[in-house]
Amino acid sequence: MSPDPSLKQTPEMTTKTRSSKRMTRTARIAATLGLTVFAWLGIALTASAEDPSASASAAPSAEVTPAPSLAPTPSHPVIPTPGPSDDGWLFATSEPSFGPPAATAPPLPSMPVHTAANGANSCYDCHSAVNDKQATIAAQWKDSAHGKGGIGCADCHGGDPTSDQITKAMDPAAGFSKAPDRQGTVGLCGSCHANPTEMKASGLPTDQYAKYWTSVHGQRLVSAGDTRVAICSDCHGVHDIKKVSDPSAKTFALNIPKLCAGCHADAQRMAPYGIPTDQFDVYSKSVHGVALLENKDVRAPSCVGCHGSHDAQPPTSTTVVEVCGKCHTATQDLYGQSRHSELSAAAPKCWTCHGTHDVSQPSSAMFFHDTPPNYTCDTCHDLTTHKLRLELSRFAKAEDRRCDTCHHPDSEIYAQIQGIATAITGAETAYADADAAIERAAGFGMLTDDADVALVGAKTSLIQAQAAIHTTKLKTVAELSADARQKAGDAQALAQSKIDESVFRREAMVIVIGLILACVVFLYMLKRKLDKELD
Amino acid sequence: MTADPAARQRRPSWIEQRTRMGPVINAAMHVRVPMSAKTMYFGGIAMFLFVIQAVTGTLLSLYYKPTPEAAYKSVQLITSDVNFGWLIRSIHHWAANLMILFVVLHLARVFMQAAYKYPRELTWVVGALLFMVTLGFGFTGYLLPWDQRAYWATVVGTEIAGSVPFVGETLLLMLRGGADVTGETMGRFFGIHVLVLPLSLAGLLGLHMILVHQLGLANPKRPEPRVPTKEFEEEPLRPFFPHYIVDELVAWYVLLAVLVVLVSVFPAGLEEQANPLQTPAHIKPEWYYLGVYELLKLVPRIIGILTPIVGIGLLVMWPFLDRRPEVRMRRRKLAVGGFSLIGIALVALTVWGYVS
Repeated sequence: MSPDPSLKQTPEMTTKTRSSKRMTRTARIAATLGLTVFAWLGIALTASAEDPSASASAAPSAEVTPAPSLAPTPSHPVIPTPGPSDDGWLFATSEPSFGPPAATAPPLPSMPVHTAANGANSCYDCHSAVNDKQATIAAQWKDSAHGKGGIGCADCHGGDPTSDQITKAMDPAAGFSKAPDRQGTVGLCGSCHANPTEMKASGLPTDQYAKYWTSVHGQRLVSAGDTRVAICSDCHGVHDIKKVSDPSAKTFALNIPKLCAGCHADAQRMAPYGIPTDQFDVYSKSVHGVALLENKDVRAPSCVGCHGSHDAQPPTSTTVVEVCGKCHTATQDLYGQSRHSELSAAAPKCWTCHGTHDVSQPSSAMFFHDTPPNYTCDTCHDLTTHKLRLELSRFAKAEDRRCDTCHHPDSEIYAQIQGIATAITGAETAYADADAAIERAAGFGMLTDDADVALVGAKTSLIQAQAAIHTTKLKTVAELSADARQKAGDAQALAQSKIDESVFRREAMVIVIGLILACVVFLYMLKRKLDKELD
Repeated sequence: MTADPAARQRRPSWIEQRTRMGPVINAAMHVRVPMSAKTMYFGGIAMFLFVIQAVTGTLLSLYYKPTPEAAYKSVQLITSDVNFGWLIRSIHHWAANLMILFVVLHLARVFMQAAYKYPRELTWVVGALLFMVTLGFGFTGYLLPWDQRAYWATVVGTEIAGSVPFVGETLLLMLRGGADVTGETMGRFFGIHVLVLPLSLAGLLGLHMILVHQLGLANPKRPEPRVPTKEFEEEPLRPFFPHYIVDELVAWYVLLAVLVVLVSVFPAGLEEQANPLQTPAHIKPEWYYLGVYELLKLVPRIIGILTPIVGIGLLVMWPFLDRRPEVRMRRRKLAVGGFSLIGIALVALTVWGYVS
């Protein structure tokens, strides 16, 4: 899915019509050759494919059965998408109304022609005084990364920034042009941002342009001429572009979910694509969303953490482990040791158990349903090929993401899972008991440092045991759980000794108070005697 | 051995023969205590607490290591591993708080009863100095455990001192031994806490007691005449020993019982080790500085700094400002009312500081 090598300036590709024709031709060749990856590149309309609860598009192909679409019935005509591909995604089955997927990205336009500014910017001088709207634009530019970085109006619009005469400054002969169309805007940004020489001073990467055309947004723009998709200025702004590191930028880490939701939570805007619009709401309540949006932890993934930014696209069933593994590296390694990872397309992946946008804190409740679900042969097997299959619709609801969604209570594996669950819950209970004992000891005013240290050791082992569930190996989980239980037991014993000590102190206190009281009574009697003598 | 009991009774004891301190002790045991005197035992309790502090502080110093690297661990050791270390430390902790409380109560009692008036002006001045030394004990001792609360309370406290006009910067550098609270600060705080202040307090307390002994206790119902009158001479007195001492002993025992309950139910705690790079969310000084701290937050800084300085100046010099001989509270409405208002304001600010 890397950008096509033909990503270079070719004059013959400057018009959309010609470009479209050429791309159509190229895509047909690609399709003929069975290069389904290009078919994927052309779709741009996957229904929140990484979310099995969201639409049919989440189901891996071949051995994966699509779930019925849960997306609301669109009020707009749904833009048809290409048919199934072999890369793990399913798409709508009706014929596409737009051309086949692009094989190449549009050529990179030249940078706008303009007269050398030499520090002059007559555009700003005039436009800041024309009217309020123009003054606002001028002020936005001045405060933008471009304005502060010496990128003037003429660098994007062309013209002569040294002249204070409108006919000269905005003369098309001097290279002046108004705002380009949406595809042209991408090219305009790319003309500088894909130019290593231009970007050298700022140190910015130059691959955004190439990446963009591999994204769902870029592919729809170039292949379907869909100008409703996001382009550079939709996320970064137009005249008010700010650095990503600027907390007030729309592209700052904490602001990204709302930025994406600006379009993706808009039911009307998303209606033609038939994709859900609840991702932001769901994400906001997830562990990731809470960490980022409530705890302001910029390490937590936002939309771009999993989907990419300029190359935004839904992770496929074959890549999701790598996507999650970008952060959860140790867990990815453990998953790689499991029997699950050997099952190819029918393998349960990260999202099968943890969900996608709605990732929540894992718990022991994830092992089994309260009441085992109904099983039929085709729950796990393709009735035609008898191969294992994964019916993703069974995992649409969080409460259905359980081991026994697949594993039958009478199976040998189920017994192993019970063993794993027993080991883990035992360790968790031991940890909770130790934690409660330490809290009780601290409540008595006792120093619990040594117990705290022991509890940290228990926590480490417990986390290792919980993570080892991804290996699906009972022996590994049982050993680590036993270690956690033992360490938690040590911590609890230390805490209990402090509680006992505190109880002893209080008992001793009663005796001492009794002795003091006896002394006071004696002294009081003495005082009365002395007072009588004094009288 | 002689058979004459009278001769045996007159014979000095073995100790007396070798010290001849009898007259001194007899003199010490005779303090003028008017029957109407009501000390409420606050001063005696404060002195008793100082003795407790001296004893427990000495025991703590056997294990305490006054360096940033070792202080925290040594306090942990004292609390967790040393036999009865928790008890000694907790008594030192609670007795320190109670000592400040009873010094304040003693001061308030003396003010309300106008016991600072002639001829006890100097007794008051020495008492006010003792109050400041006691606060100094609290300030310097607070840092020594070197936990987060100790460290950051000291940072805030020394910053307040650094805001004093003209001398603030110098004062801050002197207190901290540099720009920041470091091992240098701990070294000098420890030195001041275990050497300078105890010697100062012992000296001032000795002087205070001598003055009390020489002048006797004040009568809260009538002023002391500048020339002894017949009425003054014939005023009914209460024997200092054993009558007054027995009363004091009862008060000390009750205080001891309170102390035992506090250390048993609320032993001295310890937060995380001091980390100069991690500022806690809510830094608050100890309760006896909380009122002034809140005042600093409510009023312009310069006023917040100058108010306690002027207040202390007024406190020390008060006997020379209020020279009317009247001692009855109901006839001293301005002084009693003003003092009460200041007291209520400080208590309100302290409570506000706790809940805010």
